Amino acid sequence: MGMGLEKCVHCGFCLEACPTYVITRSEVHSPRGRIVAMKLGIPSEGLETCVFCRRCEAACPSGVEYGEAIASVRKADPIKKIMHRVLEDPNLLYASLKIAKGAKTGFLSRVSEFVKEVSPPLTKEDKDAEIILFPGCLTSVLFRSTVEKALNYLQKFYKVKIYNGCCGLPHYAEGNKERALKIAEKLREEFKGKVVVSLSSNCTAHMKEMKVGEVYDFAEFIVKRDLPLPKVNAEVTVHDPCHANLLGLTKYNREVLKRMGVKIKEMEDPSFECGAGGTYFMFQPELSDKIMKVKEEKVKKSGAEVVISTSEACNLALMKYSKVLHIADLL
Amino acid sequence: MEEEIRKIVGDKWVITGEEKTLYAFDGFTAVVGNPSLVVLPGNEEEAIEVIRLLISKEKKMIIRGSGTSLSGSTVPLKGEVVVSLTRLNKVYEVKGMEIEVGPGIANIMVTKSSPQDLFFAPDPSSYVVSSIGGNISHDAGGIHVVKYGPTFNSVISLKVILPNGNVEYFYPTPFLNPTSIFIGAEGTLGAILRARLRLFPKPKAKKTIIGVFPTVEKASKAVVNIFKAGVIPSSLEMMDRNIVEIVERSRFRAGLPRANILLVELDGNENEVKESSEKVINVIGKLEGEVLVPEDDEKYWLARKGAFPAMGVVSPAYLTLDCNIPRKYLPEIMTEIEKISKEKNVLIANVFHAGDGNLHPLIPYDPNDPESLKRAIEASTEIFSLAIRMGGVPSGEHGIGIEKIKTLSKYYSEVDLKVMQRLRNTFDPKGLFNPCKFLEKCEPINQVTRWLWEWD
Repeated sequence: MGMGLEKCVHCGFCLEACPTYVITRSEVHSPRGRIVAMKLGIPSEGLETCVFCRRCEAACPSGVEYGEAIASVRKADPIKKIMHRVLEDPNLLYASLKIAKGAKTGFLSRVSEFVKEVSPPLTKEDKDAEIILFPGCLTSVLFRSTVEKALNYLQKFYKVKIYNGCCGLPHYAEGNKERALKIAEKLREEFKGKVVVSLSSNCTAHMKEMKVGEVYDFAEFIVKRDLPLPKVNAEVTVHDPCHANLLGLTKYNREVLKRMGVKIKEMEDPSFECGAGGTYFMFQPELSDKIMKVKEEKVKKSGAEVVISTSEACNLALMKYSKVLHIADLL
Repeated sequence: MEEEIRKIVGDKWVITGEEKTLYAFDGFTAVVGNPSLVVLPGNEEEAIEVIRLLISKEKKMIIRGSGTSLSGSTVPLKGEVVVSLTRLNKVYEVKGMEIEVGPGIANIMVTKSSPQDLFFAPDPSSYVVSSIGGNISHDAGGIHVVKYGPTFNSVISLKVILPNGNVEYFYPTPFLNPTSIFIGAEGTLGAILRARLRLFPKPKAKKTIIGVFPTVEKASKAVVNIFKAGVIPSSLEMMDRNIVEIVERSRFRAGLPRANILLVELDGNENEVKESSEKVINVIGKLEGEVLVPEDDEKYWLARKGAFPAMGVVSPAYLTLDCNIPRKYLPEIMTEIEKISKEKNVLIANVFHAGDGNLHPLIPYDPNDPESLKRAIEASTEIFSLAIRMGGVPSGEHGIGIEKIKTLSKYYSEVDLKVMQRLRNTFDPKGLFNPCKFLEKCEPINQVTRWLWEWD
């Protein structure tokens, strides 16, 4: 036992917050079921199907630290470990995604369903840089224009250096905690004495939890430094990336949109899982597709044509059925 | 049999092996059962086929929803087959002020699926997850009972599969209304497949007033006086100092003052709410209570609704009583409960529907220490005995389940029980549906069930 699960009183408040429970309605694929499995050491299938969105933690009155517990019992297989390594190196990631994009069959063809465009990561290092811009591994190669826009915006006020790399969240979530801790250690060194602005909100949340340094989410930074913003005439709905939501970071996206005069048409449960879940969409395609379907309905019901989303994997999932923009894309 | 069930629902929806344990208990964790098989039919047709198959083989079964019972209603004590109806969560029709839904739909989804100007009134604190089938089977209450009534008042008609395998629709009639018998039957007369529910118009105005009291007794007097002043609040909840301390240590903390709290919600049109709130504020003031009128009241209601599970911060397990008493005895019974807490050396935290006299003493225990559970059970036995002596009932909304079986003989006469027993036998002569619960007394399976079921 241990693992901080003794606070669970088996009330079930977490069930409907959990995307895999919502689509299966089975205790096996619910946080409560997984907690029982972890407590009793039952090798349940559910331990593998968790998306690691941690919405259950926000729904839990007694404060069970579910994420930490499941991260500790999961064990990544060699394929996942290789994928994690690829995420760590932006150039290797760029090369791998270029190959995967063309795949017609097999495991990689799943990637090609989502990835339409790949670019080499943008590099930039101003002399005496005051700020590190952290795009996030996927953003750096899949959303290069977002990085460019964010860079141009920040350079108006600061000297900037781009750090292309991975925050370690996929490693942490998918049973490679040891490696995740090593990455955190490395980032701590890299970020020492610097201010970090991250473009991927779930990475931001993870880096904050791992205490790697003075890290801000992009919108959080704009609000806290009270940076000037242009007026934008647009109507959007907002997706709240799960981990950022748990840490209360998503309110800054809304605040920035408000300051820009953007009209928000809220969707139901904006923090409901997008379906991507890091590399989840590759390893659990069936469940992932079903979660995406539920999210798609919520997005469409909002009536907005554009979704604002500030987390890279989420954007991939949302782009399947909607136009998706990052806050930086509006600048 | 397992093979036949697999053919009906598909392999994925039959749970065997160690994973079955995930269905061995519900929100009542003191007794862990042992299902022989768990089945999750995907729709009404599959559910009917599975249940008919089990009936034909004379297999005993537990019909389960979200598994939030606080009385252990869905614990399979003797190797029953658990049939989970969570996947039957469809909305079949929304028409006028009625909505027809499957039994597995979560309570909260009923309002979400209704027209914007209507709502489903009965909302037990677990409404974000608890399923309609279970709500009906326990006549679930919640914070709005005081004005809108329990689930009973919001059920129009039911589709039920009976223990003889027949599927029937029961419509309301003014005479011997057959729908009502399934409400609060705890699944012992059949399984609910569909429910047509009543919706209420959303009130134009709403207001929350918080009363802060130095003593539980004064807070209890305020409850009585609010009604005497001619106000029927839409909810009237009490949180004593113990539960406030606990909630304020939980994720749902709201910044409540460390005192005895009354949460009052008033709804209606603007004028009604204004008039009622003046009266309520006056009542609170006269009893030396402090008044708070929060702009943003959501966090306080979240704190109230999350109060049971928040117990997890002090103890991984607890008993939750739900006896009802006439409101006027509130000050008296609260004092008595405090005495019992001291005598039995157990912590008792109170958070409850004060407006309808529905108590919820929460009694934590250590699941690794059987003696502490025994003490908790003894304290709870004293509390419900006291409630019955004051003219109350042993269970207001959580049901009898396996937790309160012995209370029945104290509350009902022998004749009452015989009549109820006869009803059950008429519907389910072989006792296949939800055995060892409610009216059926089984041989205890361990010392905990012995403590629960037998008088000393």
